[in-house]
Amino acid sequence: MFKGTNASSGFGIGKAVIVEEAELVIRQQSVADAAAEVERFKGALAQTMDDTEKMAADLATRVGEKEAEIMQGHLMLLMDPMLTGEIENTINSQKVCSEFAIETVCNTYADMFAAMDNEMMQQRATDMRDIKTRMQKVLLGIASVDIASLPAGSILVAKDLTPSMTAGINPANVAGIVTELGGKTSHSAILARALEIPAVVAVGDFISHVENGDTVVLDGSEGVVYVNPEKDILQDYVDRRDKFLKAKKDLEQYIGKETITKDGVSIELVANIGKPEDVEKVLQYDGEGVGLFRTEFLFMDRTAMPTEDEQFEAYKKVAEALAGKPVIIRTLDIGGDKEIPYMGLEKDENPFLGYRAIRLCLDRKEDIYKPQLRALLRASAYGNIKIMIPMVTCLEEYREARNLIEELKAELDRKGIAYNKEIKVGIMVETAAASLMADAFAREVDFFSIGTNDLTQYTMSVDRGNDKISYLYSTFNPAVLRSIRHIITCAREAGIMVGMCGEAASDPMMIPLLLAFGLNEFSMSASAILYSRKLITNYSTSELQAVANEAMSFTTAKEVEDYMKAFVAKQA
Amino acid sequence: MQKQKIVIRNASGLHLRPTGILCNEAIKYKSTVKFQSGNTLTNAKSVLSVLGACIKSGDEVEFICEGPDEEEAMAAMIRIIESGLGE
Repeated sequence: MFKGTNASSGFGIGKAVIVEEAELVIRQQSVADAAAEVERFKGALAQTMDDTEKMAADLATRVGEKEAEIMQGHLMLLMDPMLTGEIENTINSQKVCSEFAIETVCNTYADMFAAMDNEMMQQRATDMRDIKTRMQKVLLGIASVDIASLPAGSILVAKDLTPSMTAGINPANVAGIVTELGGKTSHSAILARALEIPAVVAVGDFISHVENGDTVVLDGSEGVVYVNPEKDILQDYVDRRDKFLKAKKDLEQYIGKETITKDGVSIELVANIGKPEDVEKVLQYDGEGVGLFRTEFLFMDRTAMPTEDEQFEAYKKVAEALAGKPVIIRTLDIGGDKEIPYMGLEKDENPFLGYRAIRLCLDRKEDIYKPQLRALLRASAYGNIKIMIPMVTCLEEYREARNLIEELKAELDRKGIAYNKEIKVGIMVETAAASLMADAFAREVDFFSIGTNDLTQYTMSVDRGNDKISYLYSTFNPAVLRSIRHIITCAREAGIMVGMCGEAASDPMMIPLLLAFGLNEFSMSASAILYSRKLITNYSTSELQAVANEAMSFTTAKEVEDYMKAFVAKQA
Repeated sequence: MQKQKIVIRNASGLHLRPTGILCNEAIKYKSTVKFQSGNTLTNAKSVLSVLGACIKSGDEVEFICEGPDEEEAMAAMIRIIESGLGE
């Protein structure tokens, strides 16, 4: 058994096809006629550009525009006057063959990119080496491995897949991918996920242990690979694959279905997102809206504060893409644990109890909070945006933020700028104080969203990043469950919407309890939506009351977990 | 010769995609199109040159266009940067 990184989930079973790029040996050969050699180079360049254009067009139609971008990037590099100019200069001045000129010039750039302190730029080094090899192969008349015409059921085995090799992959013939190098974010992994081909990468020494035609079994969820496994292991994986595919198909029937319990309670099943691009997945998995749009991405990895217009564009994009479905956008939730040099935040001794989120925003109204709130209000003219305030601890904080929003609304009115006058403003309930005061909050805010990750952390006084005390970090702890039930009850009594956007919202053991407590909205990663819809539609909230009462009678997390585990097992 | 300063505002700075859009616009003009950032002078018609400059969001650069259509080239550069370079 070999272990690697799980890059694309699913089970791949098939015959190994080892794809090895022949190591090109590039020698420095002199040429007598430099002008003729330049023409030879130009011919190879034109051929490579032509091939690249075809790959880009093929990917765009077969997979998507986004996946074709990398090939379009290669095309831009091939068109670059600096690159081709330098290669021509090298041929002319040193009277060397094209292959050698390409080798030196492209390597210089690849090394430059590789040395940059930025993962995106380092990826460009891979691109540069890829186009180098392709031009050289055209010159040397060496055919590239044709991945597009592999026999059906092939398991692609390679040291690493270059972007141009990956471009030929087709799920009709590739049943799985195993590479010695690479990572979860490398291009081959991204494409494998887009095409839903199981993949395990970064396996290390592997090719020396496998022959063409060997039976290879891989588990892309666990990152495990077998070569010529024993009969029972093979059968086990065949069963697992069939079960996986059946479950996947089974879930597809929930696309377009309403999320409604057996006793007729309508539930909002929405998604958590971190970037505008994530909307694509929300729509793919039939999310009924966005329950949490984290805005931190707008502020990270940059040297200056995002402008109001820039934020407006990002919020508007999501609101428009969801076409009237609710989009809850959380205002900046950042503190001393994040390094954002331009914000000038001091290192906090205790960042999770310190100067962060709403505390920081209310202290930095002019440069941080007002531009963000104004951008949110302006974007609300383009869809169903709701504003959510994170880490609220006391009512004054909410009131101050709310007043600020009203002030900005008046300002927009004066300027005649459009926004949704009825925009809803709610809070994340994630501190112990907000939970205890939930009845008072419920009288003033438009909605609640329970952030279970932080609520568990703050209720249990446990740093969720510290492994030594992880035994305390369980949302099933009766203290946390009582808090959740109390928050939901207060919201229901006041008649406001109450949702949950922490990991617990998609936990199959938690869902029955949340339904019994009366939660209205469940927000989770897009890929968990269909499975959750299946679970919810098979429950009846009235029948779950007895289960919830029993679960709430226990006094330790372990007892609750055991009970819920048994209950869930009985359902299946 | 035309010179003008502008702040790069699109979220990811001058990465491959925005750079491609910038360069595709620059090559439409006969004039040389360059920009200065710190001590480096970058050829805006070359993807490699622009990527090598490592421009991040919020950085200020000074565009320098020189040639028969320098005014149009400058106007086009400012317009395309202000439009957010496709982001």
